[in-house]
Amino acid sequence: MSGDYTLFPGCMIPLRYPQIETAARKCLPAVGIGLEEYPGFTCCPEPWTVKGTGLEEWLAVAMRNLAVGENSGRDLLVLCNGCYSTLREASHILSVNPEAAKAAEKKLSGLKVSYKGKVEVRHVASVLAGIGPEKIAKSVKRPLEGLKVAVHHGCHLLRPSSVMEFDDPFEPSILEDLVAALGAEAVRYEGYTDCCGRALNDVNAGLAMAEEKVRAMEEAGADCLALVCPACFEQFDLGQVEMKRHLKKEHHLPAFHYCQLLALAQGEDPDALGLSRHKIKVKPLHRKLGL
Amino acid sequence: MLKVDPGFKATLSTVESAGELSYCYQCSSCVAECPAAQRFPEFNPREIVLASLLGVAEYLTAEGSVIWQCATCYNCYERCPQGTHPVEVITALKNIAFDSGNAPENVSSLREAVMEHGTVIAPSDTIRKRRDELGLPELPDAPAEDMKKIMGRGGG
Repeated sequence: MSGDYTLFPGCMIPLRYPQIETAARKCLPAVGIGLEEYPGFTCCPEPWTVKGTGLEEWLAVAMRNLAVGENSGRDLLVLCNGCYSTLREASHILSVNPEAAKAAEKKLSGLKVSYKGKVEVRHVASVLAGIGPEKIAKSVKRPLEGLKVAVHHGCHLLRPSSVMEFDDPFEPSILEDLVAALGAEAVRYEGYTDCCGRALNDVNAGLAMAEEKVRAMEEAGADCLALVCPACFEQFDLGQVEMKRHLKKEHHLPAFHYCQLLALAQGEDPDALGLSRHKIKVKPLHRKLGL
Repeated sequence: MLKVDPGFKATLSTVESAGELSYCYQCSSCVAECPAAQRFPEFNPREIVLASLLGVAEYLTAEGSVIWQCATCYNCYERCPQGTHPVEVITALKNIAFDSGNAPENVSSLREAVMEHGTVIAPSDTIRKRRDELGLPELPDAPAEDMKKIMGRGGG
């Protein structure tokens, strides 16, 4: 499971939440995962709006990204559920639906790319799960003891389970084990596999879904939440600011990408990790984080 | 008067499995755990599949359609005993709505952004500076010219 991967950067992390990329680049080598650059990737493309405008071009753009990844000679590692959903599903469609594959190939005919179906797309959560909690725990220098963490998986990591192949689609536990490996306590809450609501076109309806989740997390005693997707991150971090403004509901539950918690537990400095950029302030947790 | 289009089903994209909707026996497993259905009573995946099957789906591809409230949570995909995948029927309906010029503005503009920048977010000097402060490598170049070649011929 350990080894070198080509980082598929996506859009939201490099262009809006680069602090998550910093955390990944700091924490992954310590558990034996090397991240290599490779030029030429674009948006995966995004799997609910861009996909909604045209499945054929969605597949063609994804196929091009898979071909670029294949050229790198390594499997792809993503830090985002959206990229995981698109690239994983596209790779599946290209292997089982020859008609769709042919149409996508035709759209790529003006470009110098060829895809042979030899690249695998891995989510960082799945690679870490393969390494296992014991080995991850060995990299921990500052255990997050006493920290209660509510895990939000995000839909596209789990479902469709036959394609994502990460964990049980309705009763997942792998991410919780990874949180426990950091010395923290993963707390279960009502509706823990529910959607963050990010994809609803009605922003306030989507926010209401996220608000319900944050409330359930707080009721379960969580100090913060952990997730593995920048879209979910935005829905919960910036989202809590918007909940106050649009729904008149106030919460202050800091959100972390799992890589950020791992980096903190490995002893990284919160300032070097850019955590002050989070809308929901992380500082009130510093004591619990051993800082 | 209600317009029935018996050929409608055949116009749904088959890139995913939207074409499997004939197997739907209207059990409502998809509705039970649908977060969008809980917030929008008119968003009912069972009815959306039925309307698509019968060819009375014009209201679903019209401007302001409720289909854009789909959370894409894939609960319906997992729960459907017939492999109908309502979420994929909905995506195929979205494609038809977009081709008819009826997609919401924010949806079309994300697609435009991918064509223009290669990413859904435009690169800026601010983000370049922040990446530098965070010790990250320079922003990778996303070849937008390739996106124009793939997507520039008038959509799906």
